[in-house]
Amino acid sequence: MQGIFSLTGFFLIVLLFFMQWEVYVKNIIITFSVSSFILSGFLLYLGIVNEEHILLALSALTAAVRGFFIPYIMLYSLRKDTWRARESEPLMGTATSILISVLIVIFAYILYRSTLYGFIKVPEGSLPIALMLQGSFLMISRRNTFIQMVGYMVMENAIILFSGYIFPGLPFVIEAGVILDLIGIVMIFALLMRIRENTISSGTPDSYENIEELKG
Amino acid sequence: MLVALSIFQLSYVLLLSPLIFGILAKLEERIESKQGPRIFQPYHDIFKLLRKESVIPSVASPLFKSAPYVSFSFYMILTLVLPIITAFPLSFGPTVDFIGGGLTFGAAATIKKLSSLDSRSNYSHLGTSRASSVGALAEPIIVLIFIMLGVLSKTNNPYVINNVLQHSRSWYFSLVHWFVSASFFMILIVELGKLPIESHSTSELGMIDQAMEMEYSGIELAFFKWGGYIKKFLLMSVFLNVYTVPFWVPLSVNIPGILAYSLIHFIKLIVLVVILALIEETISKLRLFKIFDYISISFAFAFLAILAFYITRGGF
Repeated sequence: MQGIFSLTGFFLIVLLFFMQWEVYVKNIIITFSVSSFILSGFLLYLGIVNEEHILLALSALTAAVRGFFIPYIMLYSLRKDTWRARESEPLMGTATSILISVLIVIFAYILYRSTLYGFIKVPEGSLPIALMLQGSFLMISRRNTFIQMVGYMVMENAIILFSGYIFPGLPFVIEAGVILDLIGIVMIFALLMRIRENTISSGTPDSYENIEELKG
Repeated sequence: MLVALSIFQLSYVLLLSPLIFGILAKLEERIESKQGPRIFQPYHDIFKLLRKESVIPSVASPLFKSAPYVSFSFYMILTLVLPIITAFPLSFGPTVDFIGGGLTFGAAATIKKLSSLDSRSNYSHLGTSRASSVGALAEPIIVLIFIMLGVLSKTNNPYVINNVLQHSRSWYFSLVHWFVSASFFMILIVELGKLPIESHSTSELGMIDQAMEMEYSGIELAFFKWGGYIKKFLLMSVFLNVYTVPFWVPLSVNIPGILAYSLIHFIKLIVLVVILALIEETISKLRLFKIFDYISISFAFAFLAILAFYITRGGF
């Protein structure tokens, strides 16, 4: 079990490295979809081994919502906004962002060992924390809205990985809530992006002030 | 017996190294639906160059002429100390460990760089500058990889590492081992001068290692080329025998077993060559400054190996 968890955690970290390397949004979304399916596979394994139907349901929900539905919606939206297809001005170079990602993984390990490990006693527990911090770093290091959304969803994947393995007895409504709230987040993002574009295409320079916080 | 086996290993590498790269060139051309050169073309090239007259720049020092022979002899020494067809050390095996082997590789590369600087050609300088920039970042990763292999086997000896990986399933299937292997594979592509790092063409824009030999001709160029084949052959053999497929390598003096493994090793190399050809034909060259991004990924893998060791094995 520990081995499978480590394998899943490290595989998701490697996929995040790939997201840091990649500039094409489509590839990043597909990579996120792959990482969600891997997470779903892990939950399925966990559900079968522990004979917990809740985990099986969560696995199916993860595959359907995060692996298929949300990436599909994002790719569909991306086809309309062709100018968003590529991250043209990342805040930092690829090599720098990958090195910072590595440092984040080390930081997460030290942080976990010095805090939560005393209570949980699971050596691999630092992996989801590293994923969470890396997801937030992906949001910070990119300007493209789609990539920022992916960064946010990676953080949510990390929470599911953490809770699914370390606290498998959580009520279904909480676990499902974490998965399903993403649909709401995607809808809000889509609405904000649409409002922003309508304002830019039809408004005067003064009206830009209302949306200037919505960078990306 | 060990001396005889050393001579056999040396002959094996000297004679077969050009053939492997002839097969690679042929495969790449066949993938592109071209006829391609014969697989023995590298031998023809070496023999042709051995008969040609050497032209030496008037400004070059004696180092220019001697460098190909010196670097070639370094590669011959390495052939005698690395596990190629046996998993037990031959006559010269105990002389160096992994770090010593790395330093010998480094010494041969340094001689080549000095000689290309000595040629005073702009193109050679360009190649040296690029190779040094890439090497300065790739070498520390190799050291990191050696450290992790040292952690894995509690030694720096490639023969012991092979033995540990042959016998310990838990190490072989560990994340530590596979992160190290992935990192070394990326560095192997850098050292082999294959895509996405270097494209071998007549355009100087993509040249790194190729540009360093620009001023060489005749017998000296033949030795540089042959030395280059041996270096690549050795690195591929180390990748296969020590990192990824350490199985079937004979652990004791057993002549039929060693002869059979020589054939198996050649087949392993051909499988690796097919993988390299597929990579070469499916991806395009990275721009020069993007090579450092590629190296950073390799570094990340090597570092993840350390972290995997701490997390899954509880640290040192």
